[in-house]
Amino acid sequence: MNLRLNARVCVVTGAARGIGYAIAQRFGREGARVACVDVSARRLEPTVAEISAEGIEARAYAVDVGRRDDVGAMFAHIEADFAAPVAVLVNNAVWARFQPLDEIDGETIDQMFAVGVNGIVWTMQAAAPQMARRGGGAIVNLSSVSAFHPAKDSIAYSALKAGVVGLSRAAAAELSPKKIRVNVIAPGMIGTKASVAQFDETTLATRQSEMPLGRFGEPEEIAALAAFLASDDASYLQGAVITADGGWTVPAR
Amino acid sequence: MRRLDGKRAIVTGGGSGIGRASAIRFAREGAAVLIVGRAANAEEVAAEIRAEGGAASSMIADAAMEANVAAMVERCLSEWGGMEIFFANIGVTGSNTPLFEQTVEEWTEVYRLNTVSSFLAIKYAGRHMTAQRCGSIILTSSAASLRANAGAISYSASKAAVNSLAQTAANAFAGTGVRVNAILPGLVETKLTRKVFEDARARGVEAKLGHVTPLKRPGRAEEIAAAAAFLASDDSSYVDGQLLSVDGGVSSTHPYGRIAL
Repeated sequence: MNLRLNARVCVVTGAARGIGYAIAQRFGREGARVACVDVSARRLEPTVAEISAEGIEARAYAVDVGRRDDVGAMFAHIEADFAAPVAVLVNNAVWARFQPLDEIDGETIDQMFAVGVNGIVWTMQAAAPQMARRGGGAIVNLSSVSAFHPAKDSIAYSALKAGVVGLSRAAAAELSPKKIRVNVIAPGMIGTKASVAQFDETTLATRQSEMPLGRFGEPEEIAALAAFLASDDASYLQGAVITADGGWTVPAR
Repeated sequence: MRRLDGKRAIVTGGGSGIGRASAIRFAREGAAVLIVGRAANAEEVAAEIRAEGGAASSMIADAAMEANVAAMVERCLSEWGGMEIFFANIGVTGSNTPLFEQTVEEWTEVYRLNTVSSFLAIKYAGRHMTAQRCGSIILTSSAASLRANAGAISYSASKAAVNSLAQTAANAFAGTGVRVNAILPGLVETKLTRKVFEDARARGVEAKLGHVTPLKRPGRAEEIAAAAAFLASDDSSYVDGQLLSVDGGVSSTHPYGRIAL
């Protein structure tokens, strides 16, 4: 494979595990220099060690993306540490709880939006000037099929992920003059530990049988799509929302 | 990138434009490509690919005629030993004559070349691919399938039908491992759109082409080919039944700024 992200500084949030880990690894394998961001230093450390062991330049940044000042400081550190401005930003970090309407509490919804919507605004705010200085960049934001096709107990989550679509399309329009592309991935059910743990075995079997491809996705399959969107292969994609759900939301049911 | 090593592909409308760029890209990523066109330029593209060390052959055929589509699949299987990718890319723009003057004959021909050709690709490629339980079918739709004012009326309607085919075929092929997706290009200079570009050049307003898109420019055939290569490859292994806009952002936003040409 040739190196579509060769020498580009790529920031991946929520990089310690699951889809974020797979994205950081895939980007590294395509030549990227990767800034791995996660709220948990404890989880991040082994991740960065594993990725680095492949010969990938990876650095750890333990930051809560919901805190604007911390995010601003982190991007300054990233540019200094890599001695180059950020070229690619992947907003994958999310904090979510699935609750029926009468159980949704203020603390939960505040925390969800602090990380999943505000956090994307803060990272884009900090990254865009660096991208502009290098003549452009690519931002990939993770939404979910829940933005359009809500699942059980997902009032807050659907609002969160629909918010990602709206803010991304608005950012695409606003950042176009700076040659920054903003596109969205809407994954379906991906077989990460965190997503599988939400459901019982019967539900899991039903879900898989509903999908034209007959199975959950792998984090690596989202990472491959993220690599496409981050690379110049996607140079004419702007404000696009790409669903990767094994066809789950294609048929009416 | 050699994500298509060992794969065999058919590209219709492969003699020029998006089809040509995609055939070249597929070959550079390792695929053997059967290039189908209605004229001798299909062979010119094949020769170009062979000259740079790739594997390609060509066939002159009408990809909207059932017997021809059956024959191109047979040809790919016998010549290259299999088929994992079918890029149904042939199309026409349709007439820009006023609506009240358009004829059923014009509409039928646009539907035949844009929509029926996609159906035939799904029928014949799908029959082979579902049996082998893997494959990727890619349909060329258009940004005009989503909104008015991006193409002729018959063209827009016929491409909206192509979008539905991507979804309905993906659903019909559930459980087979065969994926069907559509690419929705925006304005790209090809044989179909050459007049738009030539008119703009003649009037000295070429710089305004694509100005309604956030990226403020038309696309290049190679940029559509890169998306096709993604959908052809295992990098898109969980992407199925999707409409992938590659249009500089025009479908993601209301137009803003000056749009008059």
